[in-house]
Amino acid sequence: MRRALQKKYPKPVSYRRVGANRQMNMSINDNPWAGLLCAAMAGDKTAYARFLHEVAPVIRGIVRAKGAGIDTSEQEDIVQNILLAIHLKRGTWRQDQPLRPWLYAIARYKIVDAFRARGRRVHLPIEDVQDVLPAPERADPFEHRDALKTIAQLDPRSAEILRRAALQGESPAETGQCLNMSEGAVRVALHRALTRLAALRTRESI
Amino acid sequence: MRTEDLIIAMAADNLSSPSIGTLIMRRFLPSIALVVLAVLVVLGPRSDLAVALTAPVTAMKYLLPLALALFAGMAVFCRARPEQRAGRLIWPIALICALAAIWLAATMAKMPATDWWPTARGQSWRFCLIAIPLIALIPLAGLIAALRKGASTAPMRSGALAGLTAGAAAAAIYALHCTEDSPLFFLCWYGLGILVVTVIGALAGRRWLRW
Repeated sequence: MRRALQKKYPKPVSYRRVGANRQMNMSINDNPWAGLLCAAMAGDKTAYARFLHEVAPVIRGIVRAKGAGIDTSEQEDIVQNILLAIHLKRGTWRQDQPLRPWLYAIARYKIVDAFRARGRRVHLPIEDVQDVLPAPERADPFEHRDALKTIAQLDPRSAEILRRAALQGESPAETGQCLNMSEGAVRVALHRALTRLAALRTRESI
Repeated sequence: MRTEDLIIAMAADNLSSPSIGTLIMRRFLPSIALVVLAVLVVLGPRSDLAVALTAPVTAMKYLLPLALALFAGMAVFCRARPEQRAGRLIWPIALICALAAIWLAATMAKMPATDWWPTARGQSWRFCLIAIPLIALIPLAGLIAALRKGASTAPMRSGALAGLTAGAAAAAIYALHCTEDSPLFFLCWYGLGILVVTVIGALAGRRWLRW
């Protein structure tokens, strides 16, 4: 009987290793994203970049499915707002809780917000956003004007640090050398720049 | 800015973000300690505090607001996460309010209508009505500041719950000083004081808790 059960429900291969670490255990129960975000919050930059890269197309798929009638570049703006919110609010995700409901709740809030800003009421049941196809970023050679405008509204220093991190892919250490700042100061400034950017974009859409 | 670029920038920003629970504790509890200290030093505790705490009716001056603050605080906690709602925590809050309302009605029914106003106004109703919101101000500011790092999907409701938490806590703290022990007095003015702070909280939430 016991053997039969074991055959039916074989133990996961990495059972012991997983059991040793509760967070990993959770992430395997949930989905690989949770594992990536856990690692990211423990300071793993590569895991975080991978997490964002994997989440972005799914978010885009949701926005595209729900935001029919909004033009593409504006849809991409909403995608970016959601990603920014995920980034800045990641402290509200409890690592022992499933990740997807948290993720979808953020996406939903931002999409509803975007619709409200456009004067449309939207009814968006949370179950609806769970089964959409991921979508790649469309080739869009024109950066959206609004996004540019908001970066220009940042103070020059923040804008410079954000541009260096985003467009040139510089690490905080490199930026620090160029701008004669300590690496820590660059980190803080970059974080503030992203927070400010999110606030400006939110205010614009309200 | 392309989404790709934004992702690169975000990945570079690995400034740790403490969990929202920690943040609320770190901002709210010290502000409560500060305010308790301020009330004890500036207003002073009532001289018969120990006796008052053992009298059942007077003890309600502390217990009702403390229970309210506790449940509202837990609801604020829940609501700070985007995927959660206050849910069942609303029921104990509603129950406490209902109990207070029933008690108020029963007290009023027992005395002639001409005594209502003289009993309710006591000696210090104006002072009470100013003191509670004033005491609540710092804890409320601390809560709202912490919640700005949270992600409530209903900013106004979260703000109101924060106001309820701070207001109820302030009422319990003010009760350390207040010597008016008639239920009609404290149910009226504590209740009204808490309500004022709740409204302030809701407005603050609408203004500052959007994201």
